[in-house]
Amino acid sequence: MTLLEFFKVPIFQRALIGAIIAGGTISLLGIVIVVFNMTTLRFALMHFGLLGGAIGLSLGANPLTAAITAIAIGSLLFGPLSDKFKLDTGIIGGFFMTGSIAVAFLLFYKAGVPALDVFSLFTGSILTLTNSDIVFVAVLGLIILTTYFTFFREIQLIFYDAEQAEWLGVPAQKIRNGLLFLTGLAIGVAMKIVGALLIDALILLSAMAAMRIAKNFKQLLVITSLLGMLTTTGGLLLSMVMDLPTGATITLTGVTFLLISIMIPTK
Amino acid sequence: MENAIELRDLTMGYGNHTILRNLYLNIKVGEFVSIFGENGAGKTTLFKGILQLLPIMKGNIKIFNVDVTKSNEKTWLRSQIGYVPQRHNQGNFPITVFEATLLGRWGSSFSYFKKPSAEDKEVAKDILQLVDLSHLSHQDCRRLSGGQIQRLNIARALARHPRILLLDEPNTHLDIESQQKLDNILHSIRKEYHLSILMISHDQLHTRRVSDRVVHLRNGTFQKDLELVI
Ligand SMILES: Nc1ncnc2c1ncn2[C@@H]1O[C@H](COP(=O)(O)OP(=O)(O)OP(=O)(O)O)[C@@H](O)[C@H]1O
Ligand SMILES: [Mg+2]
Repeated sequence: MTLLEFFKVPIFQRALIGAIIAGGTISLLGIVIVVFNMTTLRFALMHFGLLGGAIGLSLGANPLTAAITAIAIGSLLFGPLSDKFKLDTGIIGGFFMTGSIAVAFLLFYKAGVPALDVFSLFTGSILTLTNSDIVFVAVLGLIILTTYFTFFREIQLIFYDAEQAEWLGVPAQKIRNGLLFLTGLAIGVAMKIVGALLIDALILLSAMAAMRIAKNFKQLLVITSLLGMLTTTGGLLLSMVMDLPTGATITLTGVTFLLISIMIPTK
Repeated sequence: MENAIELRDLTMGYGNHTILRNLYLNIKVGEFVSIFGENGAGKTTLFKGILQLLPIMKGNIKIFNVDVTKSNEKTWLRSQIGYVPQRHNQGNFPITVFEATLLGRWGSSFSYFKKPSAEDKEVAKDILQLVDLSHLSHQDCRRLSGGQIQRLNIARALARHPRILLLDEPNTHLDIESQQKLDNILHSIRKEYHLSILMISHDQLHTRRVSDRVVHLRNGTFQKDLELVI
């Protein structure tokens, strides 16, 4: 099939719409992960999703819906828990990560879930997006954009100096926890689009590349969003034309952009 | 003469662990007082009390004769005090020196949907001039030196034109040259804004050089012997 013929297939149309929206908006939460240095937390949320998936599989429910629900609950808990116990989000993350993966494997074993089903959790695909998935991605995308738009200066203050933000009267904890929650939802969506193993491609890579290129916060947002869109749509189209697995192609596209950004000399 | 800060019988701590005991201190309007003391003496804790970021156990704190431990005027308190915290974050995302300074005015005239006005920008520009960072206005904060970050932090704290400036160890990690520059800047902003300054420092020589008075915090109280008036 040529590219033009692909555009007539509904599955592909949905994938393309999903790629544009998710690439353009979910990537913006990568900034939160990079600035708050939440790499452990993001890893923990993924494992939490796996636990949700395991529960879903054992109960015969849709594993991905269960996974996204689990991640949403997990990310709602992380911020307040780390505030309450004055622990660093990394420690909380480590705690959830090891705990949830152990319970997940116990469940797999007890329920006799076939290995292939477990594997399916790690390898989502943008080509399996349903109409309701698209609606979910679109709503999430809108919330992300609205949040950045509304709290444009407040987010910068919190990113730059949380202590001064608090002193100036910015509701720093609330905004931070809101961002954490959105990031959790985004990780769930990314699991569906590229699969658990390739989540970073969608969320992290464009933010990391934009960090190197941008000169101010507005540029950071615009470049991240554009690179995110280019990564997902570019990867998707490339995988169609060259008959490659989509998740991996999207990831490699993202990696390529990051490489290019590293090679651009910063002045 | 009116006092900018007045501590009476102030007792503070964490949980039921008392750190500061029955402190008394008066800082007159326009005065520059330094607090000298070892690590863990409770200097930062005292600042947290003045800023009402930590509840006090006993006594009271008056800012321009207003007892801030009783009144609920957080907004007013914020407009009176500029605070340069001890841990200096330089940010790990792209933001320019000018933008970071401008953010220091958050809450005074702009917030949420309200954009910074031309006046906000004018003020930020003037302050950068004062701390000698004008030439770096458009520089990415991630590429500033230690001394430049320190001056930027002071600029941000001053952006709302407070009447009191609290500085928590502004001169640590600075070389002699940057320290001297900082001293000169403190000297000129003090005049320019009629500021009352309370500064925490480990460096006795430095505190004696720049401030009118040095108080020594030890074992939870101010030591009388080291207090000196220049
Ligand atoms: N959040 C907290 N909870 C409990 N104890 C604390 C807390 N913060 C500080 N402390 C304790 O209070 C005491 C005073 O701490 P503070 O930070 O005020 O010291 P400092 O004089 O500023 O020291 P430094 O020169 O190292 O900055 C220390 O013993 C410290 O361990
Ligand atoms: Mg301290």
